[in-house]
Amino acid sequence: MSVIANGTRLDVSPDAKPDSSNSPAVSVVDLWKRFGATEAVCGISFEVAAGQVFGLLGPNGAGKTTTLECILGLRHPDRGSIRVNGWDLRTHSTQAKRMIGAQLQAATLQDKITPRQALSLFGSFYAQSFATDELLQRFDLEAKGDVPFAALSGGQRQRLFLALAMVNRPTLLVLDEPTAGLDPQARRGLHTLIREMRSEGRTVLLSTHDLGEAGQLCDGIGIIDHGRIVAAAPPAELIGRSRAPARLIVQTAPPLDAAVASALPEVIGASCGDRGWTLETRAPDRVLAELARRVSEAGAELLHVELNRPSLEDVFIELTGRPWSGEDLPEVR
Amino acid sequence: MTAPPEFNGWIRHFLLTIDLNFRSPQAIVYGYLVPVFFLVAFGSVFRADTPPLQAQMGQILTITILGGACFGLPTALVAERERGIWRRYRLLPVPTLWLVLSAMTARVLIVASAVLIQIAIARAVYGTPLPAEPGALMLAFLFVTGAFLGIGLLIAALADTVPAVQALGQCVFLPMIMIGGVGVPLAVLPVWAQRLAGFMPGRWSVEVLEPCFDGQNGLHAAGFRLGALAVIGLAAGASGTKLFRWEPGRLAPPARWWVTAALASWAAVGAVAWHTGRLKPVLFETGAWSNITEAEIAQIGFDGLPGDNDLVAPLAPPALDSAESRGFAAKLSLWPKGRLDDAGQSIRNLVGIAAVADLCADPRESEIARLVFRQLTSGFEPAVARQALAWIVLSPDDGQAITRAPELGLFRHPPERLVRQRSVIYAEKYLGRLLRKIPD
Repeated sequence: MSVIANGTRLDVSPDAKPDSSNSPAVSVVDLWKRFGATEAVCGISFEVAAGQVFGLLGPNGAGKTTTLECILGLRHPDRGSIRVNGWDLRTHSTQAKRMIGAQLQAATLQDKITPRQALSLFGSFYAQSFATDELLQRFDLEAKGDVPFAALSGGQRQRLFLALAMVNRPTLLVLDEPTAGLDPQARRGLHTLIREMRSEGRTVLLSTHDLGEAGQLCDGIGIIDHGRIVAAAPPAELIGRSRAPARLIVQTAPPLDAAVASALPEVIGASCGDRGWTLETRAPDRVLAELARRVSEAGAELLHVELNRPSLEDVFIELTGRPWSGEDLPEVR
Repeated sequence: MTAPPEFNGWIRHFLLTIDLNFRSPQAIVYGYLVPVFFLVAFGSVFRADTPPLQAQMGQILTITILGGACFGLPTALVAERERGIWRRYRLLPVPTLWLVLSAMTARVLIVASAVLIQIAIARAVYGTPLPAEPGALMLAFLFVTGAFLGIGLLIAALADTVPAVQALGQCVFLPMIMIGGVGVPLAVLPVWAQRLAGFMPGRWSVEVLEPCFDGQNGLHAAGFRLGALAVIGLAAGASGTKLFRWEPGRLAPPARWWVTAALASWAAVGAVAWHTGRLKPVLFETGAWSNITEAEIAQIGFDGLPGDNDLVAPLAPPALDSAESRGFAAKLSLWPKGRLDDAGQSIRNLVGIAAVADLCADPRESEIARLVFRQLTSGFEPAVARQALAWIVLSPDDGQAITRAPELGLFRHPPERLVRQRSVIYAEKYLGRLLRKIPD
């Protein structure tokens, strides 16, 4: 995966035919979209290489869905260009759409339609599509193939929409908040599916405001805040860039003396709580080694040690200057 | 050779639309049961006609098509849009219009099935003859359905919600039912309503469907009507296509111009019809009076008529001659409604003057009645007058009934029902005199 800084333009002609072997799966350059007085997307640029899982991470209202909708052709950007497997969306939207599978937020179907009918209908618009029975089997809907949509459970509906997203054997799968409202079991199932997609060589572009999900699933993350990508990199690299200290939680018998705890080298903050001492440091390995030595010298015993390195939440706080909350921005539409 | 995927998808969507329609209780009620209700309502009134209901099949089928096209189509489209289904369709590699077209084509078949059911029920229950010109009926059906589907598409584009579809649909449906010649026959509507109906597609729909049943004219003289439906349908369809929304949201400001363009087509059709003389008053069974036979006239009895000096239906003596009466007679002889091309209706109007004067207790009531009789004897052939008076006696509810004539000094307007009843009495008095069965 590679990422371009905001504002950087790619030298691409909209009418040029794509070289799919070299083209990124998704290329978004300087994307702008306004709704009335609200700038929903302000010059977003990023690229997703083929076969990667890329997550747009941000609170509700940050501009994730609008960005995805522009990529799906549901919205016309005010400015900027979008290419899917090299096809420019403005001039070759049909070719681009043939390669995209998508699951939208708050999707629904006709009450009386059955999963078999829905898969058959949507698959019929593509030259290449999965057989309906194959999809029903893969998404564990065989027993519900002829049941009306209204009679499906929430999890079954979710699986049906994923099956619909896969119906055209897409090279790019776009999932907008795919785990929103799912129970833990269904969420795990979806995570497994996304990993399968990646192993099949498909590109997955998803939006989420779940930090854990983004960290677990994504090869790359773009953090969106107020319509701008404030950082983009693999999760480990983003965390590695963080200047937030690691937190060591230490419990000893007898309890560590306050003077000893605060005098440990490289410790920049120490506090005592119910679980023992919490030591903040940017060199946790050295602090841990020194702590073990001193505890041993004092004839004490280490009962519990826990190391919490910086997380994506810390990264978000550093980048935006405010605490993470998945619900804190007003909706733009 | 395999069909391109876009076409496969079109066929699948077309078939699915039909399938879902037949699995929706609401669609069955509005698409099939409500039209049957109208058929039964018409049947209860016109089942005694000869042949039964044949003259009303144009109206019945228009109601059926209106319901399917102006309610059924937009209700389905807007309900799917509200649920985000059209948003999902938008992701497909085909233009949205492609699927709209598929939904509309499916609707043509759905409406056609409802029309066939109506024809079959009318035949089975009331003995209504099958259409004399099925080919012409099919062509007329396509024009009518096309026009109403265009309007339905525009409603779908304008309405935000399903209740809004119902409201907008009623705005189109009710005027056409009430004063557009669809629910109430044109001939029994006042002239202003008949003319107004010329600005609505319902009238043209009825007038292209109806001749296909009696086999007299078919569509030979229906060029203007078919053209009117095509213009109205194309204007509404183009506006609906332009304004169609695949997701809920506000309409852009130019929407009002597209709606104006669609309505302008109604106005243009009406204006052309007016200027080309197509909006002349329509009479109920024009010429029916001329079919009255001498045998029918001979069977009319004149017993029990009120006396000429009674309170009801007074009639001044033949010797009446005064300056006032001469002045009124002059006005009556020039009164336009007594000089129509249709002599039968003219005579019904003249007799109606006597009835109105009597019902309003006009001081000149008996004199007016006498002057009307003079006008009948001087202004019409005796045979024509006999037939027309017999028609009034035998078919009191036919034709139009005037209820006031301010140009003749009769400003009050009694109920039409009473005018028709009193007209029968005067018609019997006049006819008896013409036949010399009542001494004058």
